[in-house]
Amino acid sequence: MVEDTLLVLGFKRGRREALRRIYAKYRTDMLKLAVVLAGDANMAEDIVHDVFVKFAQSADRIKVTGSLKNYLATSVINRVRNHRRDTGRHGEKALAEATLPTSAPRSPEQWATLSEQLTLLAEALGQLPYEQREAVCLHMQTGLTLRQVASAQKASVNTVKGRYRYGMEKLRSMLNNEVEQCDPQTA
Amino acid sequence: MRPADGMRRMFREAELGVRPEADERVLNDVLEAHQRSDTKRASTRRIGRKAMRNPITKLAIAAVVTVACIVGLFMWKGTGSGVALADVLSRIQQVSVYMYQMTMSTTGPVIDDEPLEQEIHGTVLMSQDLGMKMTMEVDTGMSIPGHPGATAHEMYMLPQQGKMVTVMPALKKYTEIEFDDTEFQEQQKENNDPRAMVEQILQCGYTSLGRSTIDGVEVEGFQTTDPNYQGGMMDRVDIKIWVDVKTQLPVRSEMDMQMQMGGEMHMHMVIHDFQWDVSVDASEFEPVIPDDYTALGDGPMKMPAINEETAIEGLRLCADRFATYPEKLDMMTLISLVTESGIADDLDDELLSANDENLTPEERTRNTEERVKEMRERLDKEISESVKEIMDVMMPIQAIGTFYMTLDAEGKNPAYYGETVTPADTDQVLMRWKVSDTEYRVIFGSLHVETVTADVLAELEAALPKVRAIEDTAK
Repeated sequence: MVEDTLLVLGFKRGRREALRRIYAKYRTDMLKLAVVLAGDANMAEDIVHDVFVKFAQSADRIKVTGSLKNYLATSVINRVRNHRRDTGRHGEKALAEATLPTSAPRSPEQWATLSEQLTLLAEALGQLPYEQREAVCLHMQTGLTLRQVASAQKASVNTVKGRYRYGMEKLRSMLNNEVEQCDPQTA
Repeated sequence: MRPADGMRRMFREAELGVRPEADERVLNDVLEAHQRSDTKRASTRRIGRKAMRNPITKLAIAAVVTVACIVGLFMWKGTGSGVALADVLSRIQQVSVYMYQMTMSTTGPVIDDEPLEQEIHGTVLMSQDLGMKMTMEVDTGMSIPGHPGATAHEMYMLPQQGKMVTVMPALKKYTEIEFDDTEFQEQQKENNDPRAMVEQILQCGYTSLGRSTIDGVEVEGFQTTDPNYQGGMMDRVDIKIWVDVKTQLPVRSEMDMQMQMGGEMHMHMVIHDFQWDVSVDASEFEPVIPDDYTALGDGPMKMPAINEETAIEGLRLCADRFATYPEKLDMMTLISLVTESGIADDLDDELLSANDENLTPEERTRNTEERVKEMRERLDKEISESVKEIMDVMMPIQAIGTFYMTLDAEGKNPAYYGETVTPADTDQVLMRWKVSDTEYRVIFGSLHVETVTADVLAELEAALPKVRAIEDTAK
């Protein structure tokens, strides 16, 4: 918290090194969040690129009295939502249609490299209704409490609990073997 | 293990890497965006009117307000005349050294519509030959880590050296403001508080409050509520002074002044416990500056002489920095212009939010000591830089207000139209004053100056939008 505050302080005072360190510290987390939310590595790269460029231009306006990580994560979430709205992807893909770009080959020019496990996770999340996917990702990946997720989704806590529970059940059914491998007691 | 734990572990262990070349490209985009934004910000903040919320900035402003008020009081140039109180003034001027206590409270929306509540308690030592020494405790009501709410200041007006020195032990800093020598000497002769106060009352309509007793001393009181007190810059004034009927010397005075500045601002000053003909050693007026104190800024600041040229320079600085002229010329409007302009506004709330009070016990244990030391050093630096930056702009701008007050005191019928005239209104009358029975000096919106006849001036002023000007209605 103190380190982030000092980084933001330096950034607001125009120090490039502070911005460089913020970028180095959070770009991987933000890329990962964007990948699991968007289910599309190319789109995730564009979104995170835009988030950091926008952040770099916001030294006058930014007031990070809370968490820098949450500020950046919120920016990612909003851009994913905007992108979905702009491209009209309100409908959810049927399981049979699910050929998500995360599993497509990545060219050497591309920014992110995804582990097999992340690809599987993103593909499974991509098959959840978006609200459920967002609830699961915000809680599991970003570490928001369900109350904070409810605030981010402008929904009641009970609604978010429902989305999270259904989402997790579906994820577990899709990733049963993978989850077991991650469990040291069962591996 | 709960099912969620396994899923959480999967989220954590699902790795994502970045390719260095692409990563470098993205970082360059980010840094370029920052640089473009930074350049744009640097050019726009000069004319932006941003609000300030930062306590550090407020503290710096509070210090500047204190200095500015005292400099303003000192630089006041009056032309006294009158009857009963004239004897009091004459009597004070016969006393070579005297002391008094002063309490001044300032409340009001001075900065960013948030109340500045500042209280100054001071002891003032006045010498006809050596100058003035004020030892004061300034309480801004603000608590900043590492800095007490109340801070001690010592201020010296030193006519023989032509400068004012302020020593701030809490910050281990001092300031030096140099005055024009001849002007300083002239002002020193005429204007020392409470002489300035008596002199100003003499210029206004005043009434006797009759006789009463203060601390066993029989006194006669005088009061003025004349809005022309201090050049008519206040909306409401109420000045009272009580004089010992035997010695003809002041025993107590009270000043209440109010003005509108986004809200009502109130100043209340009490001067009391006078001691006359005090014996004093010249060393009392030698500022004591310990070796580890450093000067604000690179060196002494220069208080411009008060004349037409410096007033125009102040107006030009306003036009260049803020793309506007001050709406009014009273001290608080001028201070407000500086403080709202964004000067020193890049100080950061986050610096304060990361102070030691906000750290968790774990963080405090881990790295507080070094961080807090670093932050307090930075805090000191921020305050020093802010005061210097604000004073550099404030002094030329203050020269405009002092020039106007001087013209008013000299009966030159000044008027100022900054509420409507901007730097773009090149041929509009921005300010004017009388130079003879038939002629006026005029500063136009373009800041060129002409002497015109009263008839021409009437035509020029008729072309102005009909708004309230700062004009001495009594003239």
